[in-house]
Amino acid sequence: MTDTERKGAVLPVAKEPGDTVLDFLRMAMTKEAADAVILPMKVPSGDSYAWILMNDISLLDDAVPIVPTMPVQGAKALRSLTRKGPGNLKVIAVMRPCEIRAAMELSKLGQVHSENLILATYDCPGAVQLQKYVDDPAGGDERFSGMLKKGNPDDSAKSVCHYCENFSIFDSDIHFGYLGLSEKEVLLVPGSGKGTEFLEELGLDLKKDLSSWEKGIEEIRADRVKTRKNSFEETEIQLRDIDGLLSVFANCIGCHNCQSACPICYCRLCYFDSETAEQDPDALITAAEKRGGISLPVDRIMFHTGRMAHMSLSCVSCGQCSDACPVSIPVADVFSYVADQTQNTFEYIAGLNDGDPLPLRQFRKAELPGVHELVKDADAEVPSHE
Amino acid sequence: MKDFEMRESGQDKKLRAKVGVYVCECGPNIAGKVDLDKILADLSELDDYQDVELVVKKYGFLCSGPGKEFLEEEIKSNGFTHLVVGACSPRDHDSTFMSICEKTDLNPYLYRIINIREHCTWVIDDKEKATEKAFSYIRGGIARVLRQSELFEKPLDINPDVLVIGGGISGMEAALSLSGEDRRVFLVEKTDRLGGVSIDLSGLLPGQGEVVKKKMESVTEDKNIRLFLNTRVETVIGFLGNFEIELVSKENAETTEIMAGAIVVATGSELFEPANSDNYSYSESDEVYTSISIEKMFSGEGEAKLRSGMKPSSVALIHCVGREEKNYCSGICCSYMMKLAGFFKNQSPDIQVTEFYRDLCLPQKDDQERYNEAEADGVTFIRIKDISTKGTDVSFEKMNGEKGEQSFDMVVLAPAMEPSADTEELADLLTVPLDESGFFQEVHKMTNPVGTSTDGVFIVGTAHGPKGVSDSMQFARASAGQILTRLIPGEKLIPEVKVTEILEAYCTGCGNCLDVCVYGAIYSDDSRGISVVNEAVCRGCGNCFGSCPSGALRTKHFTNTQLYREVDEALR
Repeated sequence: MTDTERKGAVLPVAKEPGDTVLDFLRMAMTKEAADAVILPMKVPSGDSYAWILMNDISLLDDAVPIVPTMPVQGAKALRSLTRKGPGNLKVIAVMRPCEIRAAMELSKLGQVHSENLILATYDCPGAVQLQKYVDDPAGGDERFSGMLKKGNPDDSAKSVCHYCENFSIFDSDIHFGYLGLSEKEVLLVPGSGKGTEFLEELGLDLKKDLSSWEKGIEEIRADRVKTRKNSFEETEIQLRDIDGLLSVFANCIGCHNCQSACPICYCRLCYFDSETAEQDPDALITAAEKRGGISLPVDRIMFHTGRMAHMSLSCVSCGQCSDACPVSIPVADVFSYVADQTQNTFEYIAGLNDGDPLPLRQFRKAELPGVHELVKDADAEVPSHE
Repeated sequence: MKDFEMRESGQDKKLRAKVGVYVCECGPNIAGKVDLDKILADLSELDDYQDVELVVKKYGFLCSGPGKEFLEEEIKSNGFTHLVVGACSPRDHDSTFMSICEKTDLNPYLYRIINIREHCTWVIDDKEKATEKAFSYIRGGIARVLRQSELFEKPLDINPDVLVIGGGISGMEAALSLSGEDRRVFLVEKTDRLGGVSIDLSGLLPGQGEVVKKKMESVTEDKNIRLFLNTRVETVIGFLGNFEIELVSKENAETTEIMAGAIVVATGSELFEPANSDNYSYSESDEVYTSISIEKMFSGEGEAKLRSGMKPSSVALIHCVGREEKNYCSGICCSYMMKLAGFFKNQSPDIQVTEFYRDLCLPQKDDQERYNEAEADGVTFIRIKDISTKGTDVSFEKMNGEKGEQSFDMVVLAPAMEPSADTEELADLLTVPLDESGFFQEVHKMTNPVGTSTDGVFIVGTAHGPKGVSDSMQFARASAGQILTRLIPGEKLIPEVKVTEILEAYCTGCGNCLDVCVYGAIYSDDSRGISVVNEAVCRGCGNCFGSCPSGALRTKHFTNTQLYREVDEALR
């Protein structure tokens, strides 16, 4: 993904990277390069954040662009704004890389229309688990500012953050880079034609060499890759067979919170909540007779495997599902592990292959030979018997 | 047809369902391999459990004349609400039993055939096991049929007119076969003349030029054929019986909108460019010709001469030019290269003619004779596995590995036929897939080579793949035959009944279904942000049904509920 030719701009550094982002947004709004911004703002009770679409520049004072935790996945905010079309106004959204990646997947699924959006990401050190943050917001803030300094998540962060390789990406329209730099500065890097145009319009000088920042990021990434391998090995052992799978999800209470929190699950009504998934009592009694007993409500495990089948190719490993689980099932670790395998199968990385169609929607010629064999078999004349 | 609204889905308990279950003995095929009486007895006991009234019977051959009459009488006298037939593969007799239902008050979609022959008796030797499996299948079938819904045919008005794209020999043949008092043909040709490649190729085939010219005259004179020269097809929307087409003139960009019931694609092919292969290098001044240019020389001047005006004393005829690159045999070149050899021999009997070929392809009935004549005339045939030319110098490697080099006065190349340049664009427009070689893909090589996956769009001539004039004309007539029997003026068309519907409340417009629909039957309604099915185009293949994560799509007669209940019961 790295492009050594890429150049960026250096922004005047404010107190924290987040303040620098706000200064940039104020400038963009003042120059009328954008009509509105989407940013997190602290909720009145002070223990969480909400996405606010704001076009009043004074509201920016209370916004927290680089936010310690992830209450609602940002892609869901973008979906709710643009589901019915791109609209006519230009909006800048500043979100974590996993949120923008989810939005890119949703745009391939007709759920987000990004034509008039400027999608901005920043170097993400990780996110504090939602429950931990809600329980102790001040502690959460402190932990997060520590993570920002170190560039790595600590034990308050979501488990997926520890092995996230895409905490800094070039695939959004613009990206704020600051991790792994020896000097205190914030770089502004365009990731798309739209982003470059936008920054040039603002009169920014895109000449800054990015190599020292890229090197710093690569070092952090190397650690994450190692952790990722270890985590997947552990998950693999847990999921070794059907009993392993059953035991991971054994205490699932069927609340479907993981699905509601998932940015990719875009169905209006989940198949598993629909009438079709409701079963005939006789069939269930028969199944119980055969196996000696069945667990009710039915399809608790099927719900998870079904969801994997439906969304794992687009899973961005944002970890929202684990945060939403009231019974501490490591949903995100399991899904991340499965997604890694399904996406590898199709040489696809959710949210990063901007121009590529979703793997199940395209038919590659290289996939043909196998199919041809099948077709040949099916073509073999069936003898007719009257 | 009687109104069955109370019985829909078999879920209405006020009217108790009455299911007829008829098991066909199929002579010894079924009766000899299972304990039929046990199956019948076990099935009879299912009525309480299913909360239905069951009538269970067996019969020798239900597909026989008396069998059909028996079944019809049973349905009528018992007043069945549903019918299950345990018999053979639906490929054999599904339609037979559906027609019997149609003769009664029973909607044919409230009937189900259960294949206990291919799936049970023919594949299980153990009688007890076969009996058990056949029983389970039929039990599943009863559960399924009770959840089936009545479906009704919706006849559509049709337009019998036809659009033919391409004015070559096959396009003209199709147009002439189709045009008539009650059927107009719109013949669209991209160039400024009719005849296509067949005109260029007329020199070699005695009489062909006359045939082509006659066709051109007939087309021009036919008042039921409307000819559009210098015109291309801009848009196509619709389906068999109802296509809306926009044509654009290349001269003045004027558009014409026409309506047609079917489309015949006769866009022909082009010749492989030898210069695109590393093996053949020559410049304009070299005495190197392609099959078409040498034909023009023969038909124009009556003889083949070198640029010096001299007749050549040696000529190399190189077959299979581009065959390696294209990976298919064009099938007609061997035949005309041998004819060409005859022409050269006629012109100067002492000429040394050498034919280089990879494989000889002699499919036409007089090809062998032509080959024998060429051999008798002293033509040298060299089978090669590799060849290259530089001007008129030929280097080759024979099958046994022996290498050779030879210089000739003249070299004639027989390039492969390849898809026309516009093929891909047109395929997109018509939502017809292309095959591996880039030609239009037929429905089935043997059983329906002129049909395509888009019902109502037919491919003829070399748009389908390399072929000669005679085959091209046969294809054209075959497509005309299909159109004449299916689009009868004044009659209505009955589209597929078992189509897919979208439950709008569930759909969120992700477009998965749109991408996997091979018939172009689904479109996106952007204002509502959902997908919509055009039922007249849908063929009920179920691709979309499988691609929809939320179950917003439902293929009629194959709903999840129907399938699940059948499986549940079969495995019970």
